[in-house]
Amino acid sequence: MSQPSDTPNLADRMPFWLMALTGIGLTLWVLAAAFPFFWMTLISFRLPVDAFSVPPKLIAPFTAEHYWQLWVGDRFWLKFLNSTIITVGVLVISLTIGCLAAYALARYGGALGFWLLLVALIFRALPHVTLLPSYKFAFFELGLWNRYETLIVILVAINQPFTIWMLRSFFMNIPRELDEAALVDGCSRIQAFVKVILPVMWPGIITTGLFSFLLAYNDFLISSQMMNADKMTMTSALSAYMNADDDAFKLMQGVAGAVSITAPLVVLVLFFQKQLVSGLTQGAVKG
Amino acid sequence: MPFRTFLGFVLPSVVAMLMLIALPLAGVVYLSLWNSYTKTNFVETTVRTPVGTRVERRPVAELDAAGKPVIVREWYGSRNFETVLGTANLAEAWERDRTVASGGQPASAWQRFKALFRDVTNVKFWGALEFTLLYTAVTTPVILALGFLIALGVNSVVRELKGVLIFASLLPFIVTPVVGSLSIKWLFLDNAIITVWLEQLGFGKIYFMQNAFTTRLLIILVGIWKATPFVFIVLYAGLQTVPSETREAAIIDGANRWQTIRYVIIPHLMPLFVFVTLIHLMDAYRVFEPILVFSGGQGADSLQHLTYKILSDEQNFHKASAAALMMVLGILVLLIPLIIKTYKDQRRAFA
Repeated sequence: MSQPSDTPNLADRMPFWLMALTGIGLTLWVLAAAFPFFWMTLISFRLPVDAFSVPPKLIAPFTAEHYWQLWVGDRFWLKFLNSTIITVGVLVISLTIGCLAAYALARYGGALGFWLLLVALIFRALPHVTLLPSYKFAFFELGLWNRYETLIVILVAINQPFTIWMLRSFFMNIPRELDEAALVDGCSRIQAFVKVILPVMWPGIITTGLFSFLLAYNDFLISSQMMNADKMTMTSALSAYMNADDDAFKLMQGVAGAVSITAPLVVLVLFFQKQLVSGLTQGAVKG
Repeated sequence: MPFRTFLGFVLPSVVAMLMLIALPLAGVVYLSLWNSYTKTNFVETTVRTPVGTRVERRPVAELDAAGKPVIVREWYGSRNFETVLGTANLAEAWERDRTVASGGQPASAWQRFKALFRDVTNVKFWGALEFTLLYTAVTTPVILALGFLIALGVNSVVRELKGVLIFASLLPFIVTPVVGSLSIKWLFLDNAIITVWLEQLGFGKIYFMQNAFTTRLLIILVGIWKATPFVFIVLYAGLQTVPSETREAAIIDGANRWQTIRYVIIPHLMPLFVFVTLIHLMDAYRVFEPILVFSGGQGADSLQHLTYKILSDEQNFHKASAAALMMVLGILVLLIPLIIKTYKDQRRAFA
């Protein structure tokens, strides 16, 4: 992504007023992007009177009561556990079957592969709610309601189109000669895939995995409809606190919940910023 | 790769998509054509009260041999679609006499159109469609412009700052959508920080959650906040691929900064602008979380939220299926350019 440093940059010969304007603009943007998070975290450690005080205060007495109430009193730790189970389940299954399919799609030249990709593209564009009536109806009739397996399988499936498109673009970058050499040396297809291709695919798998993680972790629509309160993920459990604007303590527990959900994501961005950026631009920059 | 090996590799993924995307989609079509209800019988019971006896009729669900309520399924044809689209209300709105304005004088064409528009968008589906389109129309140009400006800005700062800027920008994009919307809502509650600041600055007390205009404004704001980073990151990556020779040549030819951007950089980034626009159109069309958090469908609704509401509040699978299918129609229209582009690209790759 980065270029040799001797190429002329737009920063060269920038007049002062433009530099100042850029500085102000970028500062405003960073404030707009980060301030909601900063403020949410700050007020989550305050009593309601200090959190929504007139005028707003920068410094106020500290309390961790909302977190205690939420995690212990409302048993949010259970939701955390549910989130972990769902997310890990989706991640593992989605990447496993996605890698197999994407690898085949990157190496097979027949018409069926092309049509499969095209259909996957259409599926990817479907709003998730369009499938929900069927899910609710069918899984209720089948008695598979309110189960981890059900939600995992659903999230894996609706995540597949995106996963195989993204993984495929990574597999396309691995030279075919590599598999061919392995095949000539006597490997079977699956051996070549596992022993030769996968070891060089890690960057692609990590990047795609990040987006699969986000899909499962962030999902509200399906999780909130397919699970009862005790099996809900953290994200969908937030609905209980969402419209509590007239109950100050309930509202503050919601704030604490929102911060709790965001914390792992911030860590994720800290560690995987490069992979996230490369994932976002994958397929875009190359056309 | 031989065909059989190919089949073996793609099988698990294809089965998952068939069973949980293709089949449910067919199921939605089927559900939309039917209606179902629990069969109930009226049971008459005699109630004795101090002032005499009276007979009460109460509905009681009929049970089958296994003790489960009997569900009656009824063919509905297009009736679910008619309910969702509000065809009866539409016909009524169309035929209503609007020649006289409220003041008594003849109504102008614009007044008549406005009255008709209001009646049509009072039907939930059309109201949701109206705001979905408004949201898409407003956010798309704003995020393209804003994302491009940020990309240019970040590209021109020193290397050490870039990491911080990208980190901050990724936050709105990566955060759980419900949490992102909530974090902004909590800034605009009646006693929250921005509302108070605006009041102190002399804008008066604004009750953001109380009226449709400000609610809509906030939803659009959240949409811009969340989608701009994506445009920025993609365009920023694209900026790194502008050939330095072309840029130098333009400068040597006497192009100023603006002309370089206009005639070298923007044309180079054009495919990326098209790409992010297509992706955003699809995302905007299915906007859901901001509606859920800010309005719950009051004053501003979206198609995805409307369908969700029918499902979660009315518990009507059949009507929800009809609404979902109407939504799919729209996405197909949006998809046509993308499908054509992919068709061309991939046919080359597979040829």
